Amino acid sequence: MNESPGAAAPSVAAIGHLDRRWLFEGLGLTIVIIALAVIFSLINPRFASVVNFINILTQSSYYVIIAVGMTFVITNAGIDLSVGSILALVTVIGFELIKEGMHPGLGVLVMFALGGLIGCFTGFLVSYVRIPPFIATLGMMVALRGLALVHSAGNMHYGLPSSVTWFGQGTIVGIPVPVIIAFLFALFGAWLFNHTRFGLHVRAIGGNREAARLAGVPVNRIELMVYALMGLITALGGLIMIARIDSTQATIGTSMEIHVIAAVIIGGTSLFGGRGTIYGTVLGALLLSMMTNALVIAGVDYFWQLVVMGAIVLIAVAIANLRERRVSALAFFPRSWFEGRT
Amino acid sequence: MSESRPVASDALMRVVGLDKSYGGLKAVDSVTFDVHRGEVLALVGDNGAGKSTLVKAIAGAQPPDAGHVEMEGVPVRLHTPRDAEAAGIGCLHQGLGLVDTLDVPENVFLGRELRSRFLGVVPQLDHARMRQRTIELLDRFGIHLPRLNDPVIRLSGGQRQTVAISRLLLQEVRLVIMDEPMASLGVEEGRRVLDLVRNMRERGISVIVISHNLEHVFQLADRIAVMKNGRLLDVVETAATTREAVVRMITFGEAA
Repeated sequence: MNESPGAAAPSVAAIGHLDRRWLFEGLGLTIVIIALAVIFSLINPRFASVVNFINILTQSSYYVIIAVGMTFVITNAGIDLSVGSILALVTVIGFELIKEGMHPGLGVLVMFALGGLIGCFTGFLVSYVRIPPFIATLGMMVALRGLALVHSAGNMHYGLPSSVTWFGQGTIVGIPVPVIIAFLFALFGAWLFNHTRFGLHVRAIGGNREAARLAGVPVNRIELMVYALMGLITALGGLIMIARIDSTQATIGTSMEIHVIAAVIIGGTSLFGGRGTIYGTVLGALLLSMMTNALVIAGVDYFWQLVVMGAIVLIAVAIANLRERRVSALAFFPRSWFEGRT
Repeated sequence: MSESRPVASDALMRVVGLDKSYGGLKAVDSVTFDVHRGEVLALVGDNGAGKSTLVKAIAGAQPPDAGHVEMEGVPVRLHTPRDAEAAGIGCLHQGLGLVDTLDVPENVFLGRELRSRFLGVVPQLDHARMRQRTIELLDRFGIHLPRLNDPVIRLSGGQRQTVAISRLLLQEVRLVIMDEPMASLGVEEGRRVLDLVRNMRERGISVIVISHNLEHVFQLADRIAVMKNGRLLDVVETAATTREAVVRMITFGEAA
């Protein structure tokens, strides 16, 4: 009887709750990241510089941000393949508006509004029109990429005002602004996921949609909000990405979804919904950026980098399936991605 | 349990002339009975006797074709599980309605979360208070779950039942319907659920139990309602009957 009411003072209980989520779920991955960093450093000393580590953190910043959003989608027993295309459409439009003289602040606001609206529409397709998430977001992926190409086929946009590029290139006490934003955003995401009613409802729906509905969770509304949030977050990631490279084009963010989904899976979030971890997702995104960076330093060709990335995703899913004791290859990806909502 | 009770004045729930047909088949045929305050009423009968259809109607899962239900003399509308909940009727389905991936307090409070304000402004879940109240709820029934913050999928069948019942207790239910609560439990676990049911009765909560296990029924029930072919044959005091008599009723439809 070590859990009598008196023994569990509220504050202690709250800390216990945090501890379990943060410590245990990320421990193995943290060790893997450190081990890989050591190995890469031994192979190539150039990897081990402070400048390079900051570079890795900066490169991973927008992946961290978008992967945090994807953690909500996947935990909700869904998937969003359209993030790369949302990012492209939102950035080419926002970029052009600002270049044409719109106030940068307003231009950024338009980007967020557009991202949120697109997400709302995707969410509407999934939870009200009941198109399976895999198909709905695949359609959106193709259609939005098309729109981005229609808008600025072949055009390369560049030359943002410094008030915008600061979000990608500025530093505060020597730390790059994107890294700070990603860090704060991950903290916010973890809070939203674990400590709000919205986060609980997302996890409940992913765990057992019918039970959540019976318990009074507004299942369809929450699901729509998850995709809307994903759109908003993608706009944030896009803003930081174009601010950093000071350019965008209709093909930006191609195959980004695979990178982001991989980060979430590697982080330990269940593909089958219900269980997720923001901390793990951040580590997953860091791990991928570190590997990409090591491949670049080792002089591996970009096309081969794609091959490696794809292989990592497949291995991560296979390991995740073993972890969840789903050994059949037929159960490789969850049915919930391919099923309409009820 | 042989306390004799006044029949009508003590009724918490009264079911009047309930009918439900599927196609041409009358699954429930003008069933009328009372449930007393704080009694355990066992509902027995062969497969297809209409037990499940009857409790589904009371739980708001399947509205009846005719008839109505009164709570403390007032007719209540029971078209959805929400209606039943509002009327103080809770139902423990065989699937229990738990989210396997959530922990115990999260399951108990899902849909009725307790919240505090982060930095005095932003609403957020009050994990500490939900955990505390869960412990208190469980404690009231002398139940101890070792790891409240584990996903409930790691709990045993009996422990999961407790979590589901805690959910109902939080809603301040006055009547709990249990459909084969001991069906998939081991001996020890089954005994715990029996204790839990007795505990609910002591607190004045009425319980309707569907069970095939007559041993449990005789250990637990104050009265036994026997159904056959959609009709309610009889409601008998457990103390005033025998297992043989009940079996005879179930099989041959002879009123005792």
